[in-house]
Amino acid sequence: MTAMAADAQRTVLPAEREAYLHVPMPAGFRVEYTELEGPVFADRKGMTLYYWPHDTLRNGVTGDSKNQSDCGFEKTTLTAGLMSPYPPGLELPDLAARKSCAEEWPPVYAADDAKPIGDFTLITRKDGKKQWAYDEHALYTSPLDKVPGDVMAATSRESGGGNDGPATRRPAQPPSAIPPGFAVLTTTGGRQLLNDKNYSIYVSDRDGANTSNCDELCARMWPPMLAPVAAKGQGDWSTFERSPGVYQWAFRKRPLYTYSLDYDIRSLKGSDEAGWHNVYLQLSPAPPKPFTRQETLAGIVLADENGKTIYTYNCGDDSADQLACDHPGAPQQYRLAICGGGNAARCLATWPYVIARDGAKAENRSWSVVTIDPMTGRLAPAGTQNTLKVWAYRDRPVYTYARDLQPGDTLGVARGEHRGRRNGFTAFWLRDDFFGNTY
Amino acid sequence: MLRKVQKICAVTALAAGFTGAAMADDTAQGPVRNRTISYATVTMHWSLYQTADAKAECPEGLNDYGPREVFKSYFGDGKGKSVVDTQLAREGFKYFPLDTEDKLPYHHAGGKIANGINLDGKVRDGDFVNQEGETGVDNNLYRVIGCARIYRGPDGAIFFFATKQVRDYAFNRTMIEITDVDDLANDSDVSVTFYRGMDPLMQDASGALVVAGGTQRPDMKFGKRLIRRAKGKIQNGMLLTDPIESMMVPWEVFPPVPDYLLMKGARFSLRLTPERAEGVLAGYADVEKMYAHATTWSTHHFSYGQHDAPRFYRELTKMADGYPDKDGKMTAISSALQFNMIQVFIDHGDDARTAEAAPLNQSKPEARAGRE
Repeated sequence: MTAMAADAQRTVLPAEREAYLHVPMPAGFRVEYTELEGPVFADRKGMTLYYWPHDTLRNGVTGDSKNQSDCGFEKTTLTAGLMSPYPPGLELPDLAARKSCAEEWPPVYAADDAKPIGDFTLITRKDGKKQWAYDEHALYTSPLDKVPGDVMAATSRESGGGNDGPATRRPAQPPSAIPPGFAVLTTTGGRQLLNDKNYSIYVSDRDGANTSNCDELCARMWPPMLAPVAAKGQGDWSTFERSPGVYQWAFRKRPLYTYSLDYDIRSLKGSDEAGWHNVYLQLSPAPPKPFTRQETLAGIVLADENGKTIYTYNCGDDSADQLACDHPGAPQQYRLAICGGGNAARCLATWPYVIARDGAKAENRSWSVVTIDPMTGRLAPAGTQNTLKVWAYRDRPVYTYARDLQPGDTLGVARGEHRGRRNGFTAFWLRDDFFGNTY
Repeated sequence: MLRKVQKICAVTALAAGFTGAAMADDTAQGPVRNRTISYATVTMHWSLYQTADAKAECPEGLNDYGPREVFKSYFGDGKGKSVVDTQLAREGFKYFPLDTEDKLPYHHAGGKIANGINLDGKVRDGDFVNQEGETGVDNNLYRVIGCARIYRGPDGAIFFFATKQVRDYAFNRTMIEITDVDDLANDSDVSVTFYRGMDPLMQDASGALVVAGGTQRPDMKFGKRLIRRAKGKIQNGMLLTDPIESMMVPWEVFPPVPDYLLMKGARFSLRLTPERAEGVLAGYADVEKMYAHATTWSTHHFSYGQHDAPRFYRELTKMADGYPDKDGKMTAISSALQFNMIQVFIDHGDDARTAEAAPLNQSKPEARAGRE
């Protein structure tokens, strides 16, 4: 990560911060607000805590079992064959530089005399050391996080998972401070508010503060989120009497509804109706200013200033450790195989980096400008000749695809192993009406 | 707004089993209203002529060399070899298929019969005859994939998943609207508009069967690029459209990939009944787009049916027979997609008739001329 990125200001404004439930934590632990994930647990230095849940892949299961850590200091050298159709036992790349699981994911150790508190418990590692766990999951930090509030090593977004993506780590998070009947989802657009059946929540421009102007006919299309009579407002949440004896929830004083024509969960379709909007507990930081939004066959993608779709690169190796290979600090052989058949020059022609203009500056931690050695794909050490300054999302470069010829083309989607989820590219979706690629 | 609320109430009433007088009156009008009838796709897959033992069309047998078999033939069990030189090399070939030249056996389908239509208007040696007896049928894609298990019904992976996903995912909800209909059996001049619908297909109480008479809203937001319009005629209950120059057919087989086929000079040939439309969309599939579409499937899925991606690309380009580029290289391959559609009512709502959004989209015969 460049100094420029590390120094960038985070842009989550206090009024837009997602509130969380204050739960008991070990001494020194804290909660950090983050740009993309909402509140996360952090260690005494403010570094985000992660866990590694069990995940079922094509040919087996990996991840930490509950109340134990399977992430050790022994370096894995061979593939585990967790993904079809290739056999196990293939030698992993860059073995001399390869780190062990525990070096990539340092355990959060506990003092010998530490005591469990709330949902934070203690486990004993195989070497006898004590490690903190939350909700029965062993906790780790990541060297990829540089400043408090960074969540550069993993995401709580769901896409890329399933049994095709890597068994990924996830940030450990305190419960969101939302009333019963609601849920929160991490999306590319922000932390989206849903009901507890995962249908989207909307607000209307016609309403006033804690006042609904949605009459009976309107309410057939936009069912109000009704609140129990005994429900009490707290923080961003309030209730009001929409008709005698009938109470409705409001968030930041805006009355809340669902949408009758949302056939799909987590939809953004209701926002196509004039004056109606989805609700976010906090919005994601804005992409770099030259970027644009383009309509595709399935929704809206982020695009460069010429309208070409922006792609991110996903990668997790097939070792038992499931180490990420999507970062410019990781082995590049995976990406080079997909983008150029192992040929770096062909990669640059097929999947060009998104070049940052001279003077371009990061305005948040999510988007940054990094300096890349284009022939290796790695961050360029100082003094390297012929480097490129490129845009990065979560410290990973973003790309366009040469075969996308006009705005809205997404021909690069799913290029790579397991439809791009395991080792490949996916478009930066801002809205996807069909496949849930935003979350 | 009022219209939508009324629609929800109507759907709710139907789901609850109410059959009021208004509903009975609507039904009495039949599916052709205002000289218009519409159908939505229920299943779609490559149309392959299959015999029970495959001996007629695949005398050399079905293909045996998929990703697992190819890997084994080159690398054995892989022990002692690097992931870069084996797995990643094979994955790279998927996107740069000309980097490898696998010589393993690949069987083409043959025989006299294939599904599809005569696309170029000529009857030549080697052309197929379709099951209705039409001669001169062009379907070179059938030669390439007819002996690949993955495409064969009922349990080839692509056949199975493609069929299922077309019904399940609204992304694939293609529809045709036939207007200017005077007679559903014989009409020399009708117009056909191709849309994507936005709504779930109406099902019976068990959820197992799709039933006629559902309502669809045309996707005029993200689906606007898909709209195509052609003239056509109905003869003895068969609809045949004029060729459509360039047609994007949305076809997501494995989610979450919003992809499509690019068909050129494509014509619908569908048997119409008041409840169903069944037949083919026959035309020239753009080879590069078709291969790109296929390679959105993972190697894991290719393995299900002994289908090796780079070899598939070579066979596609070798058998391409339409739309030559400036150097004479064929860029598209004759093909036929099987469509099974159910009658629906298209609700244009407050929008103007959306058919007018698309100009007539007739292809030029000289553009699609293949090998002479």
